[in-house]
Amino acid sequence: MEKFRMFFQHFQSSSESVMNGVCLLLAAVTVKMYSSFDFNCPCLARYNALYGLGLLLTPPLALFLCGLLANRQSVVMVEEWRRPAGQRRKDPGVVRYMCSSVLQRALAAPLVWILLALLDGKCFVCAFSSSVDPEKFLDFANMTPSQVQLFLAKVPCKEDELVRDSPARKAVSRYLRCLSQAIGWSITLLLIIVAFLARCLRPCFDQTVFLQRRYWSNYVDLEQKLFDETCCEHARDFAHRCVLHFFASMQSEMRARGLSRDAAGRGREPPEMPSGLDGDGSRKAHLRAVSSREQVDRLLSTWYSSKPPLDLVASPGLWARGLNHRAPTVAPGTRLSPHTDV
Amino acid sequence: MDKFRMIFQFLQSNQESFMNGICGIMALASAQMYSAFDFSCPCLPGYNAAYSAGILLAPPLVLFLLGLVVNNNVSMLAEEWKRPPGRRTKDPAVLRYMLCSMAQRALIAPIVWVAVTLLDGKCFLCAFCTAVPVTVLGNGSLAPGLSAPELARLLARVPCPDVYDGDWLLARDVAVRYLRCISQALGWSFVLLTTLLAFVVRSVRPCFTQAAFLQSKYWAHYINIERKLFDETCTEHAKAFAKVCIQQFFEAMNHDLELGHAHGAAATAPDGSAAPTITDGAEEEREKLRGITDQGTMNRLLASWHKCKPPLRLGQEEPLLGNGWAGGGPQALRKEVATYFSRV
Repeated sequence: MEKFRMFFQHFQSSSESVMNGVCLLLAAVTVKMYSSFDFNCPCLARYNALYGLGLLLTPPLALFLCGLLANRQSVVMVEEWRRPAGQRRKDPGVVRYMCSSVLQRALAAPLVWILLALLDGKCFVCAFSSSVDPEKFLDFANMTPSQVQLFLAKVPCKEDELVRDSPARKAVSRYLRCLSQAIGWSITLLLIIVAFLARCLRPCFDQTVFLQRRYWSNYVDLEQKLFDETCCEHARDFAHRCVLHFFASMQSEMRARGLSRDAAGRGREPPEMPSGLDGDGSRKAHLRAVSSREQVDRLLSTWYSSKPPLDLVASPGLWARGLNHRAPTVAPGTRLSPHTDV
Repeated sequence: MDKFRMIFQFLQSNQESFMNGICGIMALASAQMYSAFDFSCPCLPGYNAAYSAGILLAPPLVLFLLGLVVNNNVSMLAEEWKRPPGRRTKDPAVLRYMLCSMAQRALIAPIVWVAVTLLDGKCFLCAFCTAVPVTVLGNGSLAPGLSAPELARLLARVPCPDVYDGDWLLARDVAVRYLRCISQALGWSFVLLTTLLAFVVRSVRPCFTQAAFLQSKYWAHYINIERKLFDETCTEHAKAFAKVCIQQFFEAMNHDLELGHAHGAAATAPDGSAAPTITDGAEEEREKLRGITDQGTMNRLLASWHKCKPPLRLGQEEPLLGNGWAGGGPQALRKEVATYFSRV
C-alpha cells in the first residue's frame, strides 16, 4: 500500500502530470484495443466503404469523449467558465488555456487509433477497394465492368473463393496498403512538425501572459480540490457532532425518565457532553458554526455564486451586515504587519 | 520503496540522465516499431522508389522531432533565447551547448531506425530492384528482347515472391541475395561511420575549449534546475493561497453565523470568538505565501520573472518590483559573501 500511495502522491503533486498520466494510459488502452479488435470487412459493394470509414472514425470519436470524461480539469474549466463573477472577476484567458490543454490531451488517444489504422492498412483497403481505377492493373483487361466491380469488392477478403490466390487481388491490396501507409506517415509527420513548432515558438509570443495563465489555471484546479477536501472534513465533523448529540440527548432523556420514575433521586451528575466533542474543536473552530442543513446549503451556494476575491489581506467578510459588527474588533491595518516583511 | 523513490529522484534530479533514459527508450521503441511495421513493397515501377524512400526517411524525421518535442529543454531553450536580458546577460555559448546536447540525444532513435532498415534489406531491395544488372546476374542474352518499360515492370516485382514471373530472365533468389548483400554492407558502413564520428567527437572535444565547455554545461544545468524550482515554488504558493482563501471563506461564514445567533440572545459577542481563530496550521500556510497575497502582485511577479530575471549574484537583496516592495529605505547590513560572475 505504501508503494501505491507514494506512486499516487508523486503523480498528484502536479495536476499536469496527473493529466499526462491519464492521457498515456488512454493511448496504451487504444493500442491494446486496436490489436485485439477483430477486423471483419463485409466484402459487399456498398457496405465496404461504410464499414471501413466507420471503423476509422467512430472509435476515435468515442475515445475523444472518453478523454474529456476522464480529465477532471474539463469539469473545473466548465465551472470556471459558467460561474457568476461575484467578488472575483473572471479571466477568459485562463479558461482558454484550460480548454486548450484539455483538448490537446483528449486528442492523443483518437490520433493513436487513426494512425494505427492507417499504418496497418486494413481499414483503408476495405473502404477504398471498390474505388480503385482498374486501368492501373493489367490483370483486369479481360473482365466486364460488373465483374471488375464484384472482384474489387472482394479484394479485402483473402479467403473468398472468387479472389483466393489471385495475383490481381494481391496487386490491388498491396497498392492500397502502400497508399494507406503513406497517408499515415504523412499525417504523423505533419502532426509532429506542428507539435514541434508549437513547442519551440510559444516562448516567442506573450511568455508572461502564458506564465500567468498557467499559474492561475493550476490555482483554480488546486482550490477546487482543497474545497472538496475541506467540505469532506466538515461533513465528517458535522456527522460526528450529530451522532454524539443524539447519544447525549438519548442518555439525558433516559435519565430524566429514570429520575421521574424513581423519585428517591440517585443524585446523579447531570450528563456531560462527551469530551470528544470539544477535543478537536480548537482545530476546526472555523467549521463549527455551520451546523445545520440550511447553513451548509447556503455555504455551498455562496461558494458558487460569489467566490471570495483573490486578495488575502483585504477583509474577507461575506455580507455587509456582518462587516459592520466586526469592524471595531478587527482593524485591517493590524493584519498587514506580518506580511510586508520580505 | 525507498529504492524506487531514489531511482525516480536520481533520474529526475539530473536532467541529462533523465534524457539519456528517454533516449534509450526511444531507441528501443524505434527498433520495435520497425519489427512491428509491415513493410509491403508496391511492386509497381514508379512507386517502389517513392515508397522505399518514404520509409527510409519519414520515420527517422518523425523520431527526431519526437525526441525534441519530448525533451523539456526545447521550450526552455526557446525561452532563454527570447527573453529580454533584464539584469541577467544572455550567453550564446550556453544556448549552443543546450542545442547540441538536445540534438545529439534526439539523433539516436533515427540512426537506429536507418541502421535497422538497411541491415534488414527489404527497403533497399524494394528501391533498387529495377536497377539490378540483369546481364551479369541472369540470362543476359534474353534481356535486349524486352523493351525498357517491360523490363522495369518485370523487375519491379522482384520483392513480391507471389507475383514474380521473371524466373526465365533472372532467378529471384539471385537478385534478392545480391541486393541484400549491398544493403547490409551499406548498413554496417553506416553504423561504423556514426560510431566513429561519435567517438572522435567525444575524444577530441576536450582538446578544444574545455574550460568554456565546463562553464556552459554548468550554466545550462543551472537554468534547467532554476526553472524546475520556480515551477515547484509557484505550485506550493498556489496551494498555500488556496488553503488560506478557503479557510478565510469558512471563517467569514462562521463569524456571520455566530453573530446571527448572538443577535437573538442580545448578548455581546465575546471578543475571543469574534476575532478569527488563527491556528498553527494557518500560520504555516501564511508563511509559505511569502507575502504575496493577491492576484495583481502574483501577476507582476510572474511578469517580472520573464522580463527581468534576477542577476546571478547572491547575497544582495534589491527591490524587485520598483516601488518599495521591500518597504523602501536603505537595506540592512550587507553580508560578506563570494559573488560568482556570469561571464563565461
